[in-house]
Amino acid sequence: MPDPVLNAEHPNESEHGHGFWYETWRQYRRHRLSLVALVYVGLMALVALFSPAIAGTKPIVCKYKGHIYFPALGYFNMRWENPIFRTDRFRDVYPGNLKEKDPDSWAIWPLVYQDPRRRVREGEWPDQPANPAQDLGQPNRYNWFGTNRAGVDVFAQMVHGTRTALLVGFVSMGIAGAIGVVVGALAGYLGGWVDMLLSRVIEVVMCIPSLVLILALLAVVERPTIWHLMAVLGITNWTGIARLTRGEFIRLREADFVTAARALGVTKFTIMYRHIFRNAMAPVLVPISFGIASAIIIESALSFLGFGAPPPNPSWGTLLNDGRSNMQMWWLIVFPGIAIFITVLAYNLIGEGLQEATDPRLRQSAH
Amino acid sequence: MYQYFIRRFLLGLLTLLLITFLVYGLIRLMPGDPLLMKLEAASPDRPVRIEDVERMRAIFGLNDPWYTAYWHWLGNVVRGDFGDSISRPARVIDVISQRIAPTLLLELAALSLTYMLSIPIGLYATARSGKLDERITSTVLYMLYSLPAFVAALFLQIFFAIKLRGTIFELPLFGMTSDNFDRMTFLQQAWDLFQHALLPVLCYTYGSLAYYSRFIRANMQEVVRQDYIRTALAKGVPRGRVLWHHAFRNTLIPLVTMIGLTLPVLLSGSIILEQIFSWPGMGKLFFESIRERDYPTLMGLLLMFSVLTLLGQMLADFLYAVVDPRVTYN
Repeated sequence: MPDPVLNAEHPNESEHGHGFWYETWRQYRRHRLSLVALVYVGLMALVALFSPAIAGTKPIVCKYKGHIYFPALGYFNMRWENPIFRTDRFRDVYPGNLKEKDPDSWAIWPLVYQDPRRRVREGEWPDQPANPAQDLGQPNRYNWFGTNRAGVDVFAQMVHGTRTALLVGFVSMGIAGAIGVVVGALAGYLGGWVDMLLSRVIEVVMCIPSLVLILALLAVVERPTIWHLMAVLGITNWTGIARLTRGEFIRLREADFVTAARALGVTKFTIMYRHIFRNAMAPVLVPISFGIASAIIIESALSFLGFGAPPPNPSWGTLLNDGRSNMQMWWLIVFPGIAIFITVLAYNLIGEGLQEATDPRLRQSAH
Repeated sequence: MYQYFIRRFLLGLLTLLLITFLVYGLIRLMPGDPLLMKLEAASPDRPVRIEDVERMRAIFGLNDPWYTAYWHWLGNVVRGDFGDSISRPARVIDVISQRIAPTLLLELAALSLTYMLSIPIGLYATARSGKLDERITSTVLYMLYSLPAFVAALFLQIFFAIKLRGTIFELPLFGMTSDNFDRMTFLQQAWDLFQHALLPVLCYTYGSLAYYSRFIRANMQEVVRQDYIRTALAKGVPRGRVLWHHAFRNTLIPLVTMIGLTLPVLLSGSIILEQIFSWPGMGKLFFESIRERDYPTLMGLLLMFSVLTLLGQMLADFLYAVVDPRVTYN
């Protein structure tokens, strides 16, 4: 909504226009909760990126035998941890071994000395006792969110699980968005029998219960990893986006600027990409944002049912699964449950904010 | 209009054919052999005899390639025969019909609760739009909407079955009936069932409650801005009457079409909630038959879900045309 007062002071403002994205951002900014949600997702991304520096047992940086190493990167990918530590028989326990094998070594440690994959034992870290195992691991000074039956710290698992939650949302909806936009654009712009055919495909995919499709596709892979799961979630979740894109393309196909472009002899695909897609982009972000929320729910539900990411990848849903067989260990359920809830809420709020910012009908009604 | 629906129906049949064909292929591609799983489960200590497996494979038609088997299955279905379950000693149709009642019980209870609560809440939210109490209610509902049902189910289980154990508020952790259900009087049975169903129904209800009341409120807000509402208010009709008579009746159109879309939900149940509460319904059956690779049962369930989904969509469009005279299909 252009501000009349502002325009009076700067008469050129309205001539220049602000561009679609600026206008959307201006509208979005007015929803305080959606902004908070955006900040939350940003924080989550930071936690995911720096998870090995927040909770881990491997030094972020260390000098060992004259070389600088970054062993904490091993949490992202096993191969990024220098093999020298394996040949020198560190056995994943760094603090004692570093000093013992090279007295001149130094290291910068993560904020919390806890590991998402194994139990921390007695004497590994000065003044820190072994993690409690069985059902004794209530939240305490050293294990903020408690430990599971095997004595693995829940806080560390949750911090590292943030990576899974974030990746699942973005990667799967990236795939879904790409499929959905292409299918929807072709169906909407070309119309005719292409539309007829693609609409049937959309209908078929919508009719198959998504869990069947997911489980069946996952079962086809010999040893599914988290990446397979994301791909499958993407392949099954694109129908809503396709339907919306199709609608937008049908609407914009008849717009004057498209007719003008067509009259100038612009090719079909250039029109679709440059003229229509860019205008339909913001509304398409809405189902993508809601889709990220549902992808996170589905991932944690699958992990909860035991079909999710295989063990070395910590996931919030896997923790819930642990908690389900040990109901009296409430901390295994409450903390990851709250994390899932807040994350889903954040993405829903972002979707909501986008919807109101991009839908002109709602925009007017806000006044 | 009838032409439109006949065409829709025929297209629906085609879609159905495509869905079942694809899913049949997908299911058969899943690794794991249902017979091996079954025989191993039946006698864990005895090695599985190859001859037994071969004999049963032939009976269930697992030796044919999947597209041949699909035609065979389709032919039988057209004749009303859904085949025998592999993992259970019963016909598919019996296995499924046994599970309908428990799921229907939960879903109907949840649906009626949802409608009974969401309409007043939606109207209340419209009437007090922008006031503090309405904002709080709406925020709480929105948060509930974002709380995944299975997380809520686990929270409720911890609270009612573990924390309140031993008090009068204790609720059973899972299952549909207690062990001594058969020896109870009718009233006790009803009470037992009620106790077991309470948490699942709660989990089914709260999410849709939030969704429906927001839906009603959004529709109401659109209607409230219409001229005839202003006219009615200007003529001195009381506010409550305007809301109920003039505004709400006009929001019924989208609400009615929603009924069509809930049709498949009524019978399909929730896989994960039924799994958490060990509720012997359709969702649990579905999960079990995926695990056991029970192809015939899985196909029977899928066929049912797809038919209901397609019918529901058609019903929604049909109701839309019935309720709203402005809508025509030509």
